[in-house]
Amino acid sequence: MTFDWSVIWTNLPRFAEGAWMTVWLAVVTMALAIPGGLILAFLRMSPFKVVSFAAATFVEFFRATPLILQIYWAYYVLPAYFDMQFSQLTTAILGLTCNISSFNSETFRAGILSIRKGQWNAGKAIGMSDVQIMWHIVLPQAVMRVLPALATTWVSLFKDTSLVSIISVSDLSYVSLKIRSETYRILEVLTAMAVIYWLMGYPQAKIVDWIHRHYKVVE
Amino acid sequence: MSAQETPVKRINHGESPILSFENVSKRYGTLQALDQVTLTVNRGEVVCLIGPSGSGKSTALRCANALETLDSGRVLFEGKEVRADDNRNARQVRRRMGMVFQNFELFPHLTVLKNVTIGLTTVLKLDEAAADKRALTLLAKVGLSDKASAHAANLSGGQQQRVAIARALAMEPALMLFDEPTSALDPETIGEVLSVMKALADEGMTMVVVTHEMDFARRVGNWVVVFDKGRVIEQGPPRQIFEAATVPRTREFLNHLGWHGESKIEPAREPKQ
Amino acid sequence: MAIDLSPFANSWPFLLKAVALTVFISAMSMLLGFVLGVVVGALRTYGGRFFDIVLGFYVDTMRSIPLLVILIWIYFAFPLVIGASVDVTSAAIVGLGLHLGAYMAETIRAGLTSVRRGQMAAALALGMSHTQAIRTIILPQALIRMLPSLGSLFVFAIKDSAIASVIAVPELLRQTQVVAGNTYRPFELYTAAMIVYFLLCFPVARGVDWIYRRVAHLGSS
Repeated sequence: MTFDWSVIWTNLPRFAEGAWMTVWLAVVTMALAIPGGLILAFLRMSPFKVVSFAAATFVEFFRATPLILQIYWAYYVLPAYFDMQFSQLTTAILGLTCNISSFNSETFRAGILSIRKGQWNAGKAIGMSDVQIMWHIVLPQAVMRVLPALATTWVSLFKDTSLVSIISVSDLSYVSLKIRSETYRILEVLTAMAVIYWLMGYPQAKIVDWIHRHYKVVE
Repeated sequence: MSAQETPVKRINHGESPILSFENVSKRYGTLQALDQVTLTVNRGEVVCLIGPSGSGKSTALRCANALETLDSGRVLFEGKEVRADDNRNARQVRRRMGMVFQNFELFPHLTVLKNVTIGLTTVLKLDEAAADKRALTLLAKVGLSDKASAHAANLSGGQQQRVAIARALAMEPALMLFDEPTSALDPETIGEVLSVMKALADEGMTMVVVTHEMDFARRVGNWVVVFDKGRVIEQGPPRQIFEAATVPRTREFLNHLGWHGESKIEPAREPKQ
Repeated sequence: MAIDLSPFANSWPFLLKAVALTVFISAMSMLLGFVLGVVVGALRTYGGRFFDIVLGFYVDTMRSIPLLVILIWIYFAFPLVIGASVDVTSAAIVGLGLHLGAYMAETIRAGLTSVRRGQMAAALALGMSHTQAIRTIILPQALIRMLPSLGSLFVFAIKDSAIASVIAVPELLRQTQVVAGNTYRPFELYTAAMIVYFLLCFPVARGVDWIYRRVAHLGSS
């Protein structure tokens, strides 16, 4: 069998556009899912049982069902039954954001809960206000603990953006699959797709490892 | 009184030493952990290694048990060279030596009984029943028959260390190595471990003990080796070391320790009349 | 909006078979991933530089390529390399297992290195070989310590099996799509699938947590 790799070079601009969409989706989703996760975390820690239960249900549900199904659900069910019309791109961002927010909320909750009560007492003992304690003592420590987990979630998110191709959002995998069906150079195109993901994802995985080493919690 | 007036009499049944170090050196980075160490252990002896922290005592034990490779010199055990870089040789050596660690190192996922039998079943390939039988005898010996099915997490430090001793004895070693066996213990449980060790010594077990318990070294030891900065600076019978040390550094170390001869060894229980 | 459950009346045996396949694929990929994870994790920790570098490359590659891409490549491109077709279910299990195995390996490696060094010394002092010491002493403790992480990876295995629908493995999501397309009732079908996945995943997550609380003390040397 003969291979024709020229198909990759002629379609390079389209691969690049797809890759750009993949990066863009990940950035936008994370930008929304950090505040989303914080809100869910605070709701889940709310003293009002109804609120915390609702937040917990939302989080557990999104964490315990497949993202790909959540995307389908948002795509087929929301418009048809709830009379909401979204573009595919909006649907994709909505699905990804709900999912990643749920994971982030658990990260934030663990980060905040991990700061020992003694830290609050120590802050009070030197006469700081609650806000000062939160800002100068608790948050800086929580950020150090949260950062590694967020970095890990970022890499999963980067990979998970590929799932929006099933609702025709033109990310790298959608574009690649389209080029494949146009050119029939299956092996070449699919390998190129994998390699481009690898080129983008590999450094990120390494950076995550570095963050994990650098911010290792020592107590 | 000097060493010349009381000639050194070591226990020696006319055999070659069971363990000997010949000019052993070992370096970790810039730290000279062992520097030309030479010492011997005869069968039936209790040899105590004393000296400040980081003076090389524990490293010496690890070298004896083939847990460290040497930079130079050699260690002989039962007449054969100990080679940490030769897995077969190292395993053979370790099979014949028992080792007790400062932090007990019981296996937390196993019961007390399994801790004692695991070496028997995996290394000596004994069947379960025979291993259990031997283990229960040894647990009785260290006074822990009732803890056979407990896990390490539920035992006191002293109990854990007694299990660790039983685990080592189960292999029927020719030599027992103790690496600061009481250093990690609460003061109230040190005595029970020292008593078990003393009973073992009284039975004639050959032992090398790294310890800060000077009372044990003086009363149970037959021979004391003083380490400082990786070197053996003095050795001799306990009386000489504790009462007439010739090397100033030894006296300095003993004074610094505030050693004042208080006994922690629990007296053996009197049999009921 | 009226809910119509009639699609289930006709299609439940079809969907039940799909659930069974989802469970089967998840279980097989967990098994493959676990075995790979133990072998790769142990070799990277104890096998020296060569294994660490080569297997590190495998792990980081799996961490950087989406599962969707891996599955599509194995099913559509790999057969062109070997010149023979690949059974779709096997392709899914291999792809899921290879992907999961990399994450398992990282988890197990972290567990192995977290066990105190003295445990290895104690095992060797009994006369055990390195392999015996790792197998009977270090690995069991590592697995107990890493149980919560392994549990979430098991949950991921179930969820990720849904991605096999893109290569048309007749598992739950794929068959749900089929019935939804035939009956025009996507709401009922996708919602039902969502509930089934939840019922598969949630007990696994909670079950592992429950077990962990009972055995955690066995892993702390």
